[in-house]
Amino acid sequence: MLAWLGATIQAVSAGALRDNPGRSALALLGVVLGVALGVAVHLVNASALNEFTLAVHSLSGESDLTIRGPRAGFDESAYPSVARLAQVHSASPAVESDAQLAGRRESIRIIGLDPFRAAQVQPRMFAAMENTVTGLFDPDAVLLSPSAAEWLGLNPGDTLRITVGTATVALKIAGLLPPGAYRQRIAVMDIAAAQWRLQRLGRINRIDLRLRPGTDVENFRRTLLPLLPAGTEAVTPDADIERSAELSRSYRLNLDMLALVALFTGAFLVFSTQVLSILRRRTQLALLRVLGLTRPALTGMLVAEGALLGMLGSTLGVVLGCALAAWVLKHFGGDLGAGYFRSVSADLQIAPAALAAYWLFGTAFAIVGAAVPAIEAGRRAPALALRAGDEEEGLNRLHTTWAGAGLIAAGLLLTLAPALNGLPVFGYAAIALILLGALLLMPRLTTLSLRRVPAWRFPPAMLAVAQLQATPRQVAISIGAIVTSFSLMVAMLIMVGSFRQSLDEWLTGMLPADIYLRAARGTDAGFLTPEQQENIAATPGVVRARFMRSRNILLAPERPPVTLLARPVDTTSGNLPLVSAPFTLPANAPPAVWISEATADLHGLHVGDELRLPIGAHPTMFTVAGIWRDYVRQTGSIVIDRESYIRMTGDRLANEAALWLAAGNTFAELEQALHLRLGAAAGIEISTSRQVRIESLALFDRTFAVTYALEIVAVLIGLFGVSVSFSAQALARRREFGVLRHIGMTRREIGMMLGCEGALVAALGVGFGLALGCLVSLILVQVINRQSFHWSIDLHVPWLALAALASVLVVAAIGTATWSGRRVMTGDAVRAVREDW
Amino acid sequence: MLSIRNLDKSYRGPGSRLMMRGISFELAAGEYVAIMGESGVGKSTLLNMIAGLDLPDQGSITFEGTELTTLDDNARTVLRRDRMGFVFQAFHLLPHLTVAQNVMLPLRLGGAAADKSARMALAMLEAVGIAALASTYPRELSGGEMQRVAIARALVHRPRLVLADEPTGNLDADSARQVLTVLREQIVHGTGAGILVTHSVAAARTTDRTYRLTAEGLQRCEEH
Amino acid sequence: MSFEDGGFTRLRIASRSRRRLLALLGGLLATPHVHGQTNRRAAPGTPYAQVLPGTPLRFPRDEGSHPDFRTEWWYATGWLESARGPLGFQITFFRTRPELKLDNPSAFAPRQILIGHAALSDPAQRMLQHDQRVAREGFSLAGASPDRLEVWVDDWSLKQEGGVLRARIPARDFQFDLTLAATQSPMLQGDKGVSRKGPQPASASHYYSLPHLRTQGTLTRAGRTEILSGTAWLDHEWSSSYLDKDAAGWDWIGINLEDGGALMAFQMRTPQGGKFWAGGAHRAANGEQRVFEPGEVDFTPLRSWRSPRTGTEYPVAWRIRAAGLTIEVTPLMDDQENDTRASTGAIYWEGAVRALRDGAPIGRGYLELTGYWRRLRL
Repeated sequence: MLAWLGATIQAVSAGALRDNPGRSALALLGVVLGVALGVAVHLVNASALNEFTLAVHSLSGESDLTIRGPRAGFDESAYPSVARLAQVHSASPAVESDAQLAGRRESIRIIGLDPFRAAQVQPRMFAAMENTVTGLFDPDAVLLSPSAAEWLGLNPGDTLRITVGTATVALKIAGLLPPGAYRQRIAVMDIAAAQWRLQRLGRINRIDLRLRPGTDVENFRRTLLPLLPAGTEAVTPDADIERSAELSRSYRLNLDMLALVALFTGAFLVFSTQVLSILRRRTQLALLRVLGLTRPALTGMLVAEGALLGMLGSTLGVVLGCALAAWVLKHFGGDLGAGYFRSVSADLQIAPAALAAYWLFGTAFAIVGAAVPAIEAGRRAPALALRAGDEEEGLNRLHTTWAGAGLIAAGLLLTLAPALNGLPVFGYAAIALILLGALLLMPRLTTLSLRRVPAWRFPPAMLAVAQLQATPRQVAISIGAIVTSFSLMVAMLIMVGSFRQSLDEWLTGMLPADIYLRAARGTDAGFLTPEQQENIAATPGVVRARFMRSRNILLAPERPPVTLLARPVDTTSGNLPLVSAPFTLPANAPPAVWISEATADLHGLHVGDELRLPIGAHPTMFTVAGIWRDYVRQTGSIVIDRESYIRMTGDRLANEAALWLAAGNTFAELEQALHLRLGAAAGIEISTSRQVRIESLALFDRTFAVTYALEIVAVLIGLFGVSVSFSAQALARRREFGVLRHIGMTRREIGMMLGCEGALVAALGVGFGLALGCLVSLILVQVINRQSFHWSIDLHVPWLALAALASVLVVAAIGTATWSGRRVMTGDAVRAVREDW
Repeated sequence: MLSIRNLDKSYRGPGSRLMMRGISFELAAGEYVAIMGESGVGKSTLLNMIAGLDLPDQGSITFEGTELTTLDDNARTVLRRDRMGFVFQAFHLLPHLTVAQNVMLPLRLGGAAADKSARMALAMLEAVGIAALASTYPRELSGGEMQRVAIARALVHRPRLVLADEPTGNLDADSARQVLTVLREQIVHGTGAGILVTHSVAAARTTDRTYRLTAEGLQRCEEH
Repeated sequence: MSFEDGGFTRLRIASRSRRRLLALLGGLLATPHVHGQTNRRAAPGTPYAQVLPGTPLRFPRDEGSHPDFRTEWWYATGWLESARGPLGFQITFFRTRPELKLDNPSAFAPRQILIGHAALSDPAQRMLQHDQRVAREGFSLAGASPDRLEVWVDDWSLKQEGGVLRARIPARDFQFDLTLAATQSPMLQGDKGVSRKGPQPASASHYYSLPHLRTQGTLTRAGRTEILSGTAWLDHEWSSSYLDKDAAGWDWIGINLEDGGALMAFQMRTPQGGKFWAGGAHRAANGEQRVFEPGEVDFTPLRSWRSPRTGTEYPVAWRIRAAGLTIEVTPLMDDQENDTRASTGAIYWEGAVRALRDGAPIGRGYLELTGYWRRLRL
């Protein structure tokens, strides 16, 4: 008896799979895609981060402590005084510079080392250097890491041209660094050569220290700090890694979350598949109960089906994810678009723990998705289920309205919570709760809104409305599938659209001039000398020239450096996009600086606060006169009036110039004139403000490309969900279609009926999705974005794009519904009518 | 009005087997006949071919002068919708439509106005004796009531031919008797022609004449 | 930080040929007592001073650094008496001036490279212990004074202090703090301090020795400090010339004789093992000095020892005939092999030896044997 029952259970379970392999396959695909995406995104990020960690380790070697200064470096006199401290075993000074490649947009990091000293803290790097270095003392000699050589397509003996200031410096590639020592793209020079050739005489950027055995690193660090020049810090290599990892952490978390959304949508697919499959088999299941299957056993059987789906899908997903990650790393590198790991060429790091976690996630999500209807199925009275027309009854028990409302309320409360550890964890939790709550509200909302649908005269439409009104809970599942994916898409669209629009407006405000000129883009080796500045300003065709100096300074040792921008400030004309209320400096307050939102957030500063900046010979006090919006410098920036800056520091160099074109002059003419006047200034890059804008927006789009890709997958999974539930219902309604055919409905009319149903379901789903999406986008913009990146965004709803997407979704749903009905109708109506259950 | 000549039909699918061969049959207006036969002999298939839901391999089916086998699916559907009515063993009411809505459906599909359809449906329900149930849903009805609704739906548009497939198969004897009576009344009163496929000799007796479908063909039973 | 794990001197500085076994720095470590050849590779704008015969040495000025020359070293070797018997020690400071474009104004410009090398021969250890330090001159972290003997690399130093030499060598496995006091006047090698190294007249060095240095001080090992005393020998030599490419290696001794005399002898060998060039001098206790012609010096191997680590066979005992003097030298311990493949790329033998005449001890000193592992090519 038991064996027979077991066989029956198997038959019922396997039959469900066999009956609708397509639907099970779709649910499986949903899980596979969700898990694969999660795994891929995680692995790519983890590999890049791991690579980055390795890079930091290979750069700092076995050092116990690294003294690090701003980009412009600190005075080299710190080196002997630190090296002579009794606790210091060895001290290795270094010059670091991101030098722009001549004639290219990219830059390469050049590290100037004293090989004798470096060997004491980085033995491994030098151990493998046999026969690779010829003449490192030659001031033009440079060694490339293998990845840099490959990237640049250069070999030993070739010339590496970089831009220093506005001149081009040719360096001779004397050899390659050992393959194991550095995987990132770097060039190594002798420290003396680097100081000379990169115009860094007298300055160094870093000192790596190995301490004598038995020295307490933390104690020593504290005694060391007062001896260090202003603007430098002493950090352990781990702190260094931690700080750098922190920079990209929010972005990585964002991607992980998006991947999880895909997984969540996949789980919802399992849920809807199981709900519908159980509905379809309700009489079979009731029969099993009648035959003696206990309630827990029945529930277990149904959960096991979901678990099987989840495990299979997760396994395939993990494999697919690894392959996807390997492919991405091979073809696009470890950087997922945001530029945090630009110079890292990573190998795939398979992290078994992470893979296991995603496998468990996928399986658990699928089990939960299956458990909800399974528990319900177990509870149902078998006798009732044996009666026909019980489909909807079966769902009546999913009383979820109050739970849904509660979850949404809890989610809204969570949005008030601050960032945890610098991460918007509660923001994400809020979105998850609100999403889940909305799904739970769906049956109620569906019932309410279907009641309001007017009765249509057109018979197929009338039938469609009657069908939907009669089965609100089944409809709610379809709607839920749409809402899940569409709301997230809407939210992301609004967030990204708002961000893009805000950036666009910001760029317009920040780029008032016609032409921008900068020395060696994005690096710290390039600058314009005062003579060059005069020369530029005096160029015919230039009506007005404004110069800006930027450099990095350290505000707090445990925080990344902040960019100091010395430029003319005119708060009245709005050339600084202030977000704070106007502020009048008190009479005897220190001079004004304007800090970016990130600086305010990260360093806890407010308007009116006083702030000590390590510029000039001695740290000087300033007053925060305003907070401005800066979309460029995520670690914070501080604007100071250039006149005051020059007065305090004597630093008359500039990195950028904004030029206003005289009437009647063209950009091309001026560009040529500038190049002529500045002579062999290969390092000067001249662009129109339009070019800068286009370029910035292109960079923005590249950053969000991965986000778009993830969204599309989530939407695809959502459409799978719609398709699954439609095709499930179409199957369940085969007999009904048969009857309608008997009564005299044409195939076309039935198709139209299904199309109407699809349109209605999609319209409702899109409507709810839009509302939910707007809510979620508010959380993304106001909570998550702000906590992650510390800049504000003005809300702009891209209505046109949303309308287009909504229509696409509705059309897709109509298509899916019609298609699934057509598939069912190809089987003959006659047999369908005779099927008696 | 209905003329069937030399109808051949095989099962489709693997090992296709000849189901019926050389079936010929004539039905005049006003006739109500029963077709009996063993399970699986093809009674329902024959009915479906008459309704234009299925096509024969060979032979012709002429309904009121129209050769069904030459029509396309759409034309056959329209013909069926306008001039035929169907009653099933399992009633096959649409569960999410009320009784009245179920009955109205053929009229609405045929393009009749809603109010006219409603009036006609109500009249029809009156005729089958369940006007009081018009606004209830099928799941609230007994089997006999459901079959009355089905009969009302099959006859509401005054079809020329009513096709009933085991209409009493799911009913107790009492209900069956009542349903058969209603069916006969309605066919004889209004439409004129009807075919009742049944296992039940008692049911067959309510018709004018009985045919037996076997592997050899369709023979008229004289004992009736 | 050591050479062993570091290997920084594999940086082939200013080398034309990657095949060169010993680069500039490595060559210095392995060829302290021999120069050869004219300077073929001096870069334009980097004029090295040349050794000119007849240039008189002046003290204490010439005890200091001569930065215009390519290479220079202060090479102290000696014997110390410990409670458990005699120990050998070697403390060396090298200075080398790389071929550079001198116009780099950076304070880090490698104008001079300073190297400290120290070794301890303790028969109880059965093996030589040694350690190195290398740095470029500058920031007062490493340097050599041109006025008097003062040379240092980080906390390693050798300097004139109150009329005596003070050597502080906190090496990894042992820490020396020694004073070396002169008991005799400087012994000028070659022709009044100009020592020929090969058939080419340009191949020469300025070279003087301080034999019979009374040595006292402490040796700390594993936290235990011993007070020691003994006798040492200091070589100070500077030159801009290199070893002839036809030479494959060399053998050198410097012996403090018990009678108060001092003996230095060297021979350079051809790849076949024959004598390529030779020289040396004997100074009697009364100060009478006899300088040897190349033909007057013969090295005859008596006994060989094979290194279990490298398989190299070294003639660790010799009969040396120098003019009328014939002595035999035997090692304090057989294994005084310096394996510096990881740093200089060379393996050589350098260690404390006893000098015997007719089987009777007549002095103690140091022996250096190079070019036995592989042919040395400079």
